[in-house]
Amino acid sequence: MRTLKTVAAPLLASVLAGMAFSAQAAGFPDKPVEMTVLFGGSAQTVGQVLADQMSKKLGSPVVAVARKGGGGAIGYTYVHDTKPDGYNIVWNSNSISTTHYSGHVPFDYKAFTPIARIGMEVPVLAVRSASGWKSLKDMQAAGKKAGTKLKIAVGGLGSFTHIVAAALFDRLGVTVNYIPGGQGREVAELLAGRVDGVLRFPSEVAPHVKAGTLTVLCVTTKEVKVEGLDAPTCDQAGATGLDLSMWRGLAAPAGTPPDVVAKLQNAAKEAVASPEFQKAVQNVGFVPAYLPADGFGKVIAEDDKEIGSLMQKIGLEKKK
Amino acid sequence: MDVIVTALAHAATWQVLAATLFGSAVGLIFGAIPGLTYSMALAMVLPITFGMGNEPAIAVMLSTYIGGMTGGAISAILIGVPGTPSAAATVLDGHMLARNNKASLAIGVATVSAGIGGILSLVIMLVAVQALARVALAFGPAEITALVIFGLSTICGLAEKSLVRGMIGGVLGLMVMSIGQDPLDGIPRFTFGNTTMLQGVDLLVAMIGLFAVPHAIAALSAWKSGREAKVEAAAVNVELPNIKLILAHWWNLLRSSLIGTVIGAIPGTGGPIAAFLAYDQARRFHPHPERMGKGDLAGVIAPETANHAVTGGAMIPLLGLGIPGDPATAIILGGLLIHGIQPGPLLFVEKPAVIANIYVLFLFAYVAVVIMQLYGVRLFVHALRVPAHLLSVGILVMCALGSFAIRNTLFDVVVMMVIGLAGYLLLRARIPVAPILLGLVLGPTLERESRTALIMSEGHLSIFYSSWPALLFFGLALLIIGGHVVGNLRANARARERGKAGVPAA
Repeated sequence: MRTLKTVAAPLLASVLAGMAFSAQAAGFPDKPVEMTVLFGGSAQTVGQVLADQMSKKLGSPVVAVARKGGGGAIGYTYVHDTKPDGYNIVWNSNSISTTHYSGHVPFDYKAFTPIARIGMEVPVLAVRSASGWKSLKDMQAAGKKAGTKLKIAVGGLGSFTHIVAAALFDRLGVTVNYIPGGQGREVAELLAGRVDGVLRFPSEVAPHVKAGTLTVLCVTTKEVKVEGLDAPTCDQAGATGLDLSMWRGLAAPAGTPPDVVAKLQNAAKEAVASPEFQKAVQNVGFVPAYLPADGFGKVIAEDDKEIGSLMQKIGLEKKK
Repeated sequence: MDVIVTALAHAATWQVLAATLFGSAVGLIFGAIPGLTYSMALAMVLPITFGMGNEPAIAVMLSTYIGGMTGGAISAILIGVPGTPSAAATVLDGHMLARNNKASLAIGVATVSAGIGGILSLVIMLVAVQALARVALAFGPAEITALVIFGLSTICGLAEKSLVRGMIGGVLGLMVMSIGQDPLDGIPRFTFGNTTMLQGVDLLVAMIGLFAVPHAIAALSAWKSGREAKVEAAAVNVELPNIKLILAHWWNLLRSSLIGTVIGAIPGTGGPIAAFLAYDQARRFHPHPERMGKGDLAGVIAPETANHAVTGGAMIPLLGLGIPGDPATAIILGGLLIHGIQPGPLLFVEKPAVIANIYVLFLFAYVAVVIMQLYGVRLFVHALRVPAHLLSVGILVMCALGSFAIRNTLFDVVVMMVIGLAGYLLLRARIPVAPILLGLVLGPTLERESRTALIMSEGHLSIFYSSWPALLFFGLALLIIGGHVVGNLRANARARERGKAGVPAA
């Protein structure tokens, strides 16, 4: 046993020392910046493209590190607990509000200082073409028949897509059984006929829409135009007033020096503008929409209010 | 045929060959070091592929994936710690072979099995991608639950002498994986209000602890008491398998390839499950099942063939449906999308050339990985020249660093140590390790799938017996458990008979 301890102690010490060592804001950045990625799929892919481009603009590596789990709670908690020196940033999204209101993290969006919004992803409602539902109204009529309960696959219980789906079907007056997916399984469940629809992002359903097996009934936002997607907005299709889209951006722990935030913001701006970034993310169905820190902060605050009241209304908020 | 020839011509450029070699090397290194996984290797090489043409980019991704899968066996055999979760079943017999001074033979056999498993899965994929994609779709949450229960039933066979001890191991494995946030509702479990405990126990961290720490304690105590076996430098010989030896196992190779390809094609399952199922089947078909677990080549061939067949199997939903089956293929999907390749049913119709390219590059990657590893064996086995107690210290250091690297948290290093010490105590209590592993591997899948199935059916259990795959696998599980219980009862009855015949009961 003594031998084991003498092995473990210096090892732990050296790892600890490595973590504790970090440079001050002056001359930022003089070591790699760690970008925590919260989800797989398009979040991870776009996050890596962004990190790659930002590395070039910042002159110091930006490393995308996956810390998935708990609907984003694991990664948010990690970054929240790091020093506010700009070397730990998070590739965030509306999940900062959903994790807070579902009670998965004790802090809210104010625990982070916004750096920049990078772009948007727009959830869509897709069904099997063989279902015969040509429009949202058809699906609504089917769902309203007595004794039926539609099954809709979403990214996870309490996730953003779940909340968007709940807001949508709440407006339609249809009761729905939400099935948690994960790792891209939602579309498989739909193709196999075990669920009636999915609320997911366009790139996941695109190959099957092109092949004619799936149909997109509506897009959950009013404004953002998704390249190559030919479907009405849910607002036009019958869910009047529905306008929800997911933004993705960068944030750092609150208290990060403003000059460091400004440097990161400018690197993000140049990265988004680069033709490499534009071309790569278009293939993934991500819509670049850069916003500087202050504008991004307003978007986060507005969305937080909306998501909070939505979750309360549809009963997803955790009772304290 | 034309398409394949064109694809071959496209692939035979120096860029593609260099990319394949680079990816294979990165994959092998990440796979061989416990704690560094092929998913991490893939995430690391992905940005490098952004600036490449399509063929070299695909070559890098596929060869990294395949190299990473193959590398896992090196550490599993040499030091008894799986480099990747998929290689966990390989430890059982592979490391025993290494202890019997047959490390190079075991690695050689593992490598050749890997190549055969991978290439057979490619052939299966080539002829039946669309049909198998449809089979894969038939597996929803209820069906995967049945498959996992079937997997757990193999604890009966892996429990060695005592079924009760086997079950204790299995349940402990299942329990360890339930620590942290529950996967569906995010409710904290066994966290004692501690936020770092929320992230739960990582499968690979648990495996590393379970294998590395007890080994190290045993090696160090043997050294302290002067019982350490001397390793003669000259005794570390390099013996590679010949073709006859491999061909003698043709049925094991074929069976394990089929298991691996089908399991690989089902999203939500993966390498570790396939490896254990194949291992259990190998034991079942073995003329001397009692030799398994004590250093039998069949116990290396089965898991290594199956987990590599998973690589081909996983390509089926990925290319055929655009659906990734596990985190590694999700990263590959992202890479393909960035290069403007949208996998899915239409890709086969609109761009057969791209599909042919992917098949050829997949083949290239296997050839490169097998050649690289067969040469590498000569190098790797030198690790065994290091005295066991010194080697075990090196392994512990590597495992601690590896545990840290998986999620960049010190919590995992502590977990590795705690699980390792607990594992040592369990081994002393003669709790077999294989059932613990099975519990660890299958636990999260079992929970996620069974609960999702019940959400889908709104709590009705009927979902578990209303489709043929679910019925099939539940039936098989019942057969195995029933057969084992009957066998045990008979053995007990015989023991009692003997007791009556005059020998006093102890």
